[in-house]
Amino acid sequence: MNVHTYEKLWLIAAMVLIVGFIATITYGSVGLGIAMVGDQQETVEPTELADDERFGEPRVEQIGDDEYEVYVVAQTFSFQPDPIEVPENSQVTFHVTARDVIHSFSLAGTNVNTMVIPGEVAEMTVEFDDPEVYGVVCNEYCGPDHHNMEGQVHVVPEDEFDLTEVSVDAPDEVDAGESATVDVTVENRMLDGLETTAELEIGGETSVEEVALEGGEATEVTFTVDPETLEADDSDVEWAVTVDDHEERGTVTVIDAGDEDGGDDGGETDE
Amino acid sequence: MSNTYLDQFPAEAKVVRAAFYSSFFALAIGGLFGIVQTLHRTDVYRFMDSADYYTVLTAHGVLLAITFTIFFLVGVFTWAVTTSLDRGVENLRFTWAWYGLMVIGTAMAAIPIFAGFTDSIDMSASVLFTFYAPLQGHPLFYLGLVLFVVGTWLAGVDWFRSWRAWKAEHPDERIPLPTFMVLTTTIMWYIATLGVAAAILLFLLPWSLGLIESVNPLLTRTLFWFFGHPVVYFWLMPTYMMWYVMLPKFSGGKLFSDPLARVVFVLFLILSVPTGIHHQYLDPGIAEGFKFIAMTNTMFLLLPSLLTAFTVVASMEHGARQRGGTGYFGWLKALPWRDPVFTGMALAGLMFAAAGFSGMVNAGMNINYLVHNTFWVVGHFHLTVGTAVALTFMAVTYWFLPQITGKALWSRPVALVQVVLWFVGMTFMSNAMHRAGLLGVPRRTAEPQYEGVTFEAAVGSVGELNAQIALGGVILTISLVLFFANVIATGFNGRSDELPSNGYADALSGPEDAPLVLDNLKLWTAIAIVLVIFAYTFPLLSIVQRGGLFGPEVITFPVSLESLAPIAAALEYGGLATVDGVASAVTGALEPGRIAIAEVVR
Repeated sequence: MNVHTYEKLWLIAAMVLIVGFIATITYGSVGLGIAMVGDQQETVEPTELADDERFGEPRVEQIGDDEYEVYVVAQTFSFQPDPIEVPENSQVTFHVTARDVIHSFSLAGTNVNTMVIPGEVAEMTVEFDDPEVYGVVCNEYCGPDHHNMEGQVHVVPEDEFDLTEVSVDAPDEVDAGESATVDVTVENRMLDGLETTAELEIGGETSVEEVALEGGEATEVTFTVDPETLEADDSDVEWAVTVDDHEERGTVTVIDAGDEDGGDDGGETDE
Repeated sequence: MSNTYLDQFPAEAKVVRAAFYSSFFALAIGGLFGIVQTLHRTDVYRFMDSADYYTVLTAHGVLLAITFTIFFLVGVFTWAVTTSLDRGVENLRFTWAWYGLMVIGTAMAAIPIFAGFTDSIDMSASVLFTFYAPLQGHPLFYLGLVLFVVGTWLAGVDWFRSWRAWKAEHPDERIPLPTFMVLTTTIMWYIATLGVAAAILLFLLPWSLGLIESVNPLLTRTLFWFFGHPVVYFWLMPTYMMWYVMLPKFSGGKLFSDPLARVVFVLFLILSVPTGIHHQYLDPGIAEGFKFIAMTNTMFLLLPSLLTAFTVVASMEHGARQRGGTGYFGWLKALPWRDPVFTGMALAGLMFAAAGFSGMVNAGMNINYLVHNTFWVVGHFHLTVGTAVALTFMAVTYWFLPQITGKALWSRPVALVQVVLWFVGMTFMSNAMHRAGLLGVPRRTAEPQYEGVTFEAAVGSVGELNAQIALGGVILTISLVLFFANVIATGFNGRSDELPSNGYADALSGPEDAPLVLDNLKLWTAIAIVLVIFAYTFPLLSIVQRGGLFGPEVITFPVSLESLAPIAAALEYGGLATVDGVASAVTGALEPGRIAIAEVVR
């Protein structure tokens, strides 16, 4: 075959270019450690996500000092949890699956981007340095409201980050003249211990209890509210429970003897 | 007296004409939807509900990426085979039959897509060009696609029949270059379409009919991309053919090298298919190693394109020097820049170089994280299929129209303005799309304006990008209008006797310089199949092993609510009898279809 000299040179240059490209990508994989979304994760049953160990409760989980795992469910047309909150200077592994059709989980303006396919679990480990709010979009068409499918990842300063869960068990109504009991459950889902306070504000009075928890522990704090505190102008008495920046609110209805109306505001809440 | 294609092959010219006009019809509607989308997305002008945007997008994608391109290329291929073998088709009825099948398939797929605009018809297929399950379109949509593809298969049979008949009479001759290009492309297409045929016939169609409960979304998606990447070469190969066999002629010279053109087409035949997984770099459930293999194959696919760049430029230079051009770059001035056919094709080639660079970014496995499914990708393929292919097709139409109608082109100046406008419009639109993609603006979105997501531009702003996209879209639309004005006005011209003769460029280094092995189609086919087996067996097995052949139980998400219960029942119980019935109904329908079409094009 008769190949012109210039064409031979061009051919060699083209091969060098191609091999160069492959080398840069290989360097990205091996040298910089940019791993591809792969098949590391077990498959999942999309119709049984509610009972799934990993995705039953979409959440942020701490697994090491600065290491977190996030379990995300994408569905028409939202992400759970939303927003996702993680601390600065952390290494976060996202596990994302879909409840219905194919979606994506993509942090706009970054290279955090993966397809989300029902039955499969996308795993991606990301390093977050500074506090920032990232917008999350679904960039694969998923139905008529696709353009409204969005979420956020909040990377917050370390001192503002916790994985504390607070739930309050308070009565809806008490009889006039009787005391009320408010149970506050505080769960520390971080690995480190937590020292804080639980504060109950009711009828203009505030009581504070110390809370000290090891990592992964939960405790219950009980406040007993005197009948005098519940004597207000109104029969509905508002209360607020505060643990760090978590707040739960509700009302207790004080029922006078002979007054059978009862209150209708609930008191049991969950965060 | 002229010696046009119409004079040489009057019957075949009618088929080519019908194919071209079908292609232009799709281009007109698809182009109209293009500007509707551009203005909607950029929030310049919105008159429809955003949910309908996806119906418009489906029609835009299917009509332009499939219908416009493929109807045009079957016309070009039929011209190429008949001209270069210097013999008519073996059986004209067969030729019309595959054309008719393609028309019927298009119509069947279009009905549910367009029904998506109205609630009064309970039918829809707003599943986009990629129809990823568990999004489910109406069965008619899948069935239409199948018939269309079968039509192209039969077209391939037609071209192979011509070649075999010619070979029997010319046993010792080399395959003429245009026919060689058609045959290699057709083999590639046969291999590639196996993927989409399997996806539709084994899974999506039975599922849409309710015969199977569920599908494996990753499996059907992988089978789609088995076809979805090589399909771009199905559009690109006729474009390359035009650059190889026509552009040198329009430049006033000869093709630089026939043997290297053959090498290029052989490389495309063997490397086009085992690359599809590069569309799935970010798919969970496919191991990184498989993605790496697809990436390597993809990068080597740059080789034939880089060789083409050399040959095309060298051929143009040769032409320019024949025309008296001199100097290192001075020869560029000697090229026929006032000829819309030449200028359109040259600008298309220039854009394809830019497309190659954005394509290298897409192909870079781990770089792909940044651009996957962003507007960048849309910018990329508006340079490839939207310019390299579409602009070449439009430009070469100005040469083909006189050949197939026997009429002189209505206006060469208008044609020149048209191809330049396309280039300018696409420069604005595509460049802005690429930049928007880098900010993370997603593709396939009716309203890329979010409450909690902002796209931050280091240079310029999202508003500025949108303005450029809208401006580009408007220029492109004006260009399209000029194109159709020229095609239609040419149709009203009278017959001319002073048209250029049919033909294509000679080569400086002819087929006698090409090793015989290049014409061994069986060998290349075997290598292509082996490479496909290497690239796909393990990923497919792994996907089936992980998620099951029919998948985990997925929640079907019909964009069409009505399943065709009667058809389902008929297929289930009628079995082969029904299939036969359909086949004879189709052949029956072809006859009147052919006559009607012949009337229209006359």
